Amino acid sequence: MNEILLITLATLATAGRVLGLILISIFTGWFLAYAAIKGKIFENIYISLIEVFESVPVISFFPIVLIIFVTRIGGPLGVEMAADFLVFTAVVWNIWIGEYQAFKTVPREMLEVAENYQMSFLTKMRRIFIPFSYPRIAANLFPSVSDGFFYITVSEVFSVGIHTYQTFGIGTVLDSLVASGQTRLIYIDLAILAVVIILIIIGLREFSRYAVSKYTVDTDAPIIRRGRLNVKQTTRLLSVVARNPLSRLAGYYRSRAISRPPEVFEKHEIRKEKISRYTSIAIGVIILGLILYSSVDLIISVPHSEWGRLFSITPRIVLYLLYDYLRVGVILAISFVIAIFLGYYLAMHSRAEGIGVPIIQALSAYPPPIYLPFIFAASFTAIHSVLGAFTDEFYVLSLGFVSTFYYIFYSFWMGVKALPAEYFEVMKNLNMGYFSRMRSIILPGTFPYLISGISSTINSAWGGLMIGEYWPDIVAGRSLEVHFGLMKFIDVQTNTGNIALAGWGSFIFGIVVAIYSILFTRRMMDLARKRYVAEEGVFAA
Amino acid sequence: MDEDLIKDNAMQRARAAQYVLSAVGIDFSYENGYKVFENINIDVGQNEFVAIVGPSGIGKSTLLRILGGFLKPDRGSVYLFGKPIIRPTPDIILIHQSIVTFPWLTALENVMLSLKVRNVSDEEAEKAARNALEMVGLQGFEDLYPKEMSGGMRQRVAIARALAASPLVFLMDEPFAHLDELTAEGLRQDIYNILFSPDTPLKGVVLVSHNLTEVVELADEIYVLNNVPATVVGKVHVDLPRPRNPRSEEFNQILDALYNYLTPPKVKKL
Ligand SMILES: Nc1ncnc2c1ncn2[C@@H]1O[C@H](COP(=O)(O)OP(=O)(O)O)[C@@H](O)[C@H]1O
Ligand SMILES: [Mg+2]
Repeated sequence: MNEILLITLATLATAGRVLGLILISIFTGWFLAYAAIKGKIFENIYISLIEVFESVPVISFFPIVLIIFVTRIGGPLGVEMAADFLVFTAVVWNIWIGEYQAFKTVPREMLEVAENYQMSFLTKMRRIFIPFSYPRIAANLFPSVSDGFFYITVSEVFSVGIHTYQTFGIGTVLDSLVASGQTRLIYIDLAILAVVIILIIIGLREFSRYAVSKYTVDTDAPIIRRGRLNVKQTTRLLSVVARNPLSRLAGYYRSRAISRPPEVFEKHEIRKEKISRYTSIAIGVIILGLILYSSVDLIISVPHSEWGRLFSITPRIVLYLLYDYLRVGVILAISFVIAIFLGYYLAMHSRAEGIGVPIIQALSAYPPPIYLPFIFAASFTAIHSVLGAFTDEFYVLSLGFVSTFYYIFYSFWMGVKALPAEYFEVMKNLNMGYFSRMRSIILPGTFPYLISGISSTINSAWGGLMIGEYWPDIVAGRSLEVHFGLMKFIDVQTNTGNIALAGWGSFIFGIVVAIYSILFTRRMMDLARKRYVAEEGVFAA
Repeated sequence: MDEDLIKDNAMQRARAAQYVLSAVGIDFSYENGYKVFENINIDVGQNEFVAIVGPSGIGKSTLLRILGGFLKPDRGSVYLFGKPIIRPTPDIILIHQSIVTFPWLTALENVMLSLKVRNVSDEEAEKAARNALEMVGLQGFEDLYPKEMSGGMRQRVAIARALAASPLVFLMDEPFAHLDELTAEGLRQDIYNILFSPDTPLKGVVLVSHNLTEVVELADEIYVLNNVPATVVGKVHVDLPRPRNPRSEEFNQILDALYNYLTPPKVKKL
């Protein structure tokens, strides 16, 4: 009984860590978003940073963070902070960008009312900005929760060199249960975690429904939507619209261009405006400074001889990275195909959708690294007899798939839901077949959603690879390990205490990923914005 | 006698076979229980231009969707040359009030969508699409994307797409409502000649509108919908030569007749 209590407490501790960090993200995000819409300079820094950090998987710079927290702060607090930091960076970007977009798209009329009544900063926040951000926060909570839980096993227990650090939570408890082979308790542990996750998902769905029905401004409402219109359905559709990745990008690009209403203020008002602008510039500069400081600090701490070694190993790192991109490509292709068939089916069949989507949401929040060892243990012999030398590769790709499939599925599904009802009528009217619908209308019409789903899928595939490519003793006496891969390289270097090499690997990786994201994702998004906005194909709809 | 006709399905079909499109005894409620229609009867004769007018929200768009097989009536049937309509078909094409184009396709490609589904070769499809665009007056604009076009041109693309499907019936849901008045007038003047040109297999048109002048300008037969749930409260035959002059006396007499039917709707107490 005592153990079950312990397990429950550990699950709650983990859930509390994830949810608490989400709350912190939400709270800080409001102020940062406000600063961003008030000051151009801060806005540019803030958004660019989010974009880069969003596309560089946290896990890849975890080693560096580890040393900072564990060696500089140390003790249980340092370990706890390292774990928190990893989870925080998993949940925060979505939420921050969502709040920023919400603030940026508050209707001009509302802002004018606020100016008219000379509302104070706090009143404006409380009455206008914060309520207006709820629907977007609600929509962004699902991926954040999934991401947060994903890293619990790796964040609560980690080893650097000979040291193993741990902090209290389900990951730690599970680790010790596995070590001592207590099968029954392991199952109880997994079940309790499942219950907690399902409760959280149900809570999120409720919150999302409430936020959208209460806080969505009517003018955004679609005029007609597919089939019958009722409040419940409109609500769901609005939550879909609220997370439209395009309105997301379109949102801030467009509003950057719109000039603010003419500002006729008294002198002290102008001064107040100036102060808030300077504050936001200052915050931007401080953040940049911190990043610069820590980089310089790191560079200085590396001796000259070490640099030579780092450079000489770089070609190998690049080769490993190619292997990993290949894996990501395979994972993406499989996810894409399944997402398209399943997503379209669910979007068209409301009853299947009512069951299917919550199940997929709950599954996606249930962290694969927690259950993979058990699946591995149960299926290894069978899979090995079929795949032979490719067995480990198979498990790694599967882990990548389950940890990342959700993103592309969800985006595509939302894209289909957001297509104008008229498009479906035209397809029916012209008697179009399945493939011709897909090719001419559904895929192009969901293109912006697909792009954002693809880029999230790629980003989170790295997390799966990081965990899967090198997993010593995944079950007693057997390790999961690929031959070549940058994630494995970083893992191995971290495990053997070779922090400089691990850091160098993640650094190169970070640069490549950031460049890729800027070149590929942005370009595709631009293209999507230019031509593939289905909503614009229907006049006044 | 009328009662028997409705009860007797075979006779109903035989009667419907004389019309291009015939809706008989339609009742319809939305899923939330809102009853939109009660016993609607509408006939479209050969080469007839039928208009349905009524106040906003009365159920005109709903009725068009029933005529096209997009919505299933609770009672009654819709026949195309005596054949019951149970699902949407390219024989009856709906033109939306919100102008529908696909922004990732050029004007030509938008129109070719209709032809892809009818096993024709690519060259033939392109030829037919060019032809349809020419009929709506868009020759020379084939390679523009919808975003590069005005609202009026986009609606012409939508109409060309509909024409390219070679339908027997056109259902038009306030097709001019989103256009500015000058553009709308231009398109209105063209539409009759486009639709009933000898090049199209089109046999009948149903136009829904709340604009009475527009309807008198275009239609042979006008059905007036009113009350909640809606019924046909009047039917006006327009026998004026085309092009019609909205300032003529006959024109205004017909307008007055329509206005009389459209006194504030009576809501049936439930
Ligand atoms: N999907 C729906 N569910 C419930 N009521 C609807 C739905 N669509 C339309 N209605 C209602 O049915 C009535 C008729 O709508 P509509 O056919 O669009 O009218 P019109 O085209 O004449 O303006 C309106 O009162 C509208 O509110
Ligand atoms: Mg209507």
